[in-house]
Amino acid sequence: MTSRGTPSRFLRSVLQNGVGRYVCQLKRVSIVFSKKGQSSLGMRDFIEEGVVDFAKNNPGIVVYVSPQPCNVPKIVAEYLSGNTKTEPVTNKTSQQILEVLTKLTNQSGLDIVRLRKPFHTDSPSIQGQWHPFTNRPPSIGPIRPQSAE
Amino acid sequence: MSSFSRSAQQWATFARSWFLIDARMQPPGKIATACSVRLQGKHKPIYHARSDCGDHVVIINSKHIAFSGNKWEQKVYSSHTGFPGGFKQVTAAQLHQKDPKAIVKLAIYGMLPRNLHRRTMMQRLHIFSEDELPEDIRANLTEELPQPREIPRKLSEYTQEEIDAFPRLWTPYLRLSCKLVKEAFVGF
Amino acid sequence: MVFLTLPCWIRNRGPDRFWKVQELLKHARHFRGRKNRCYKLAVKAVRRAFVYATKGRKLKKRNMRTLWISRIAAATREHGMKYPALIHHLTKCSVQLNRRVISELAITEPRTFHSLAKIAREQQLEGFRVALGDGKEPPGVLSRVMLQ
Repeated sequence: MTSRGTPSRFLRSVLQNGVGRYVCQLKRVSIVFSKKGQSSLGMRDFIEEGVVDFAKNNPGIVVYVSPQPCNVPKIVAEYLSGNTKTEPVTNKTSQQILEVLTKLTNQSGLDIVRLRKPFHTDSPSIQGQWHPFTNRPPSIGPIRPQSAE
Repeated sequence: MSSFSRSAQQWATFARSWFLIDARMQPPGKIATACSVRLQGKHKPIYHARSDCGDHVVIINSKHIAFSGNKWEQKVYSSHTGFPGGFKQVTAAQLHQKDPKAIVKLAIYGMLPRNLHRRTMMQRLHIFSEDELPEDIRANLTEELPQPREIPRKLSEYTQEEIDAFPRLWTPYLRLSCKLVKEAFVGF
Repeated sequence: MVFLTLPCWIRNRGPDRFWKVQELLKHARHFRGRKNRCYKLAVKAVRRAFVYATKGRKLKKRNMRTLWISRIAAATREHGMKYPALIHHLTKCSVQLNRRVISELAITEPRTFHSLAKIAREQQLEGFRVALGDGKEPPGVLSRVMLQ
């Protein structure tokens, strides 16, 4: 993959999330599954066992459970930034689905692309950036050619 | 935190300085190394080849440069006009006679990297054959660069004290023996 | 058959050649000229691009290092030292900052860099003092120093 042909961004957090307080960026989760399908077996287990606990533990997230005739059960996550992520959970056990859901909850909703730099700072310079007069005193009066003295 | 705001910080960091260098009795090559570094911006810790951070350099007295050895006669500047038989060769003395700025300019041009920024950097170079500067350039100057070579002086330009204080060949035994001889005379 | 992604599953149905071309053109969409839409031209360009990218991954490290070195050299000369002397004496003082960090310090924290240069300078002067000794000649040598 070429570096220009692939999307990239710099490391950043959403609105300095977690510096003072933490706001969960996930706002809405739709759990799509089939009532009869074989591939939704684990999903149905999860809905019986864990989905209520998950919703209670995360009061900031709206959880929709929508049974639809489908082959691929999936989790559609919507974030505060407006991004939507879809995770297919075909033939996954209830434990694995919980892990996927926890992962989606902890994410910031930013695109997962190549990072230009693995570090970031809001205040790059404490002492003030270098400028031409940091290490030499500004001359007093105009500079004159030597012979003009 | 710095005392600047963000944008002022940026302006301060990338501010262009104007350097003055006096070429009187200096070798053009040494002048050119000092200038090409400044023109490229390689004297700044923010240097990047593509960030266009070079400074202005003003050279005065380019008429009074000094080649060492017999370069005035032997150094040849060649060019080709593109026409048949258009190969021109002039010695440094002839070129200097024609244009007193050309030798310094060519030396600097040859020391800059061969890329599209070279002409831009050359535009930031201001050469003056004498030491008179226009008022607008003089007002911009921020620093004078030290001359790479100390200007040699003639014997007539030294004062008598300096000539007396000049270290001589060291002959302690001669003096010692003279002293002994004197003492011997006194003894007689 | 098992399909992990939706595009692979869709690809399963149509003519194979179309999808093959799309897979390749995906990497060529940002190219200039007809290379970004004609398969015959794109296939060569994409192959070249991938070769350059492979080589570039190594070159990038080398180029960044030269950039850091030229930046440190520029900053060091402002404090009246040379780059090799600075690096040599900093390692002697067991300052284990790498070139990237030193060059960033020179830009963003100039006072810190100045103190680093001072450390190296002191180390250098101490080395000179050790090399010169106490200024006395070895025994049996008559010199100007002894007559004074």
